[in-house]
Amino acid sequence: MNKNFKQTSKAGSLGWLLQRISAVILFVLLFFHFIVYHFITQGRTTTYQYVLARAQSWWFPLLQFLFLLTALYHGLNGVWSVLEDYTTSKFWRLVWYSLLLTVGTILLFVGTLTIIKLYTLKAA
Amino acid sequence: MVKKTRFYDFTYYNFIGSWAWILHRLAGLALIFYLSLHIWVINSLTQGEAVFDQVMTFLNSVPFKLLETGLWGVILFHAFNGVRIVMVDFFKGSLVQKKLFVVLIAVAFILWALGSYLILSHVQWRVG
Repeated sequence: MNKNFKQTSKAGSLGWLLQRISAVILFVLLFFHFIVYHFITQGRTTTYQYVLARAQSWWFPLLQFLFLLTALYHGLNGVWSVLEDYTTSKFWRLVWYSLLLTVGTILLFVGTLTIIKLYTLKAA
Repeated sequence: MVKKTRFYDFTYYNFIGSWAWILHRLAGLALIFYLSLHIWVINSLTQGEAVFDQVMTFLNSVPFKLLETGLWGVILFHAFNGVRIVMVDFFKGSLVQKKLFVVLIAVAFILWALGSYLILSHVQWRVG
């Protein structure tokens, strides 16, 4: 057996389960997202006013935040499980994991900022 | 001596499951790349109505709408193969995983055609 696999643990099992739970949530929310922004757009394009009107109810931003959170988690945890398959060295695993965590934090921050901004902007 | 298996060794790709596995990964990697861009671009669109509507009109041109149908396709493949993965992992789907793949991809294809029709119906043929 490869010496790198000596220390076995259940550490990965939570990620495995959460990947499937987030998948089920995303399956519903992504269809909702496509229907709202890509299929029904009242006329030719998704306009600023259309986006603002939806972004300023009490439930829509919360749903958007849940969508952002699950999508980022699912995506970056997915990249992590791919990287895990090819990276056995402890050093590189730590480097990759930190990098994904940083990217995730930045994108979560940027996305949340967008949701708050759209919620607080004045509709014309 | 056990031969090391590599994902690019195509002798293992005689099976539907192998293809589903590698395509699911590639689609997933493409989607997280797109998601990163998407979050970034949408944030820059909160500067006001003029900028937003100008960019949206630009994105309503034929090439971007075709890319959008492609995105919809990649999403549907990943989502419906994902349903197969959940069924295999939690509901004894492994017994019928090949049939599941064919049926789910057929459903995904129908939804792809429907969605693509809606996406392309929004194309602005003449800008301005």
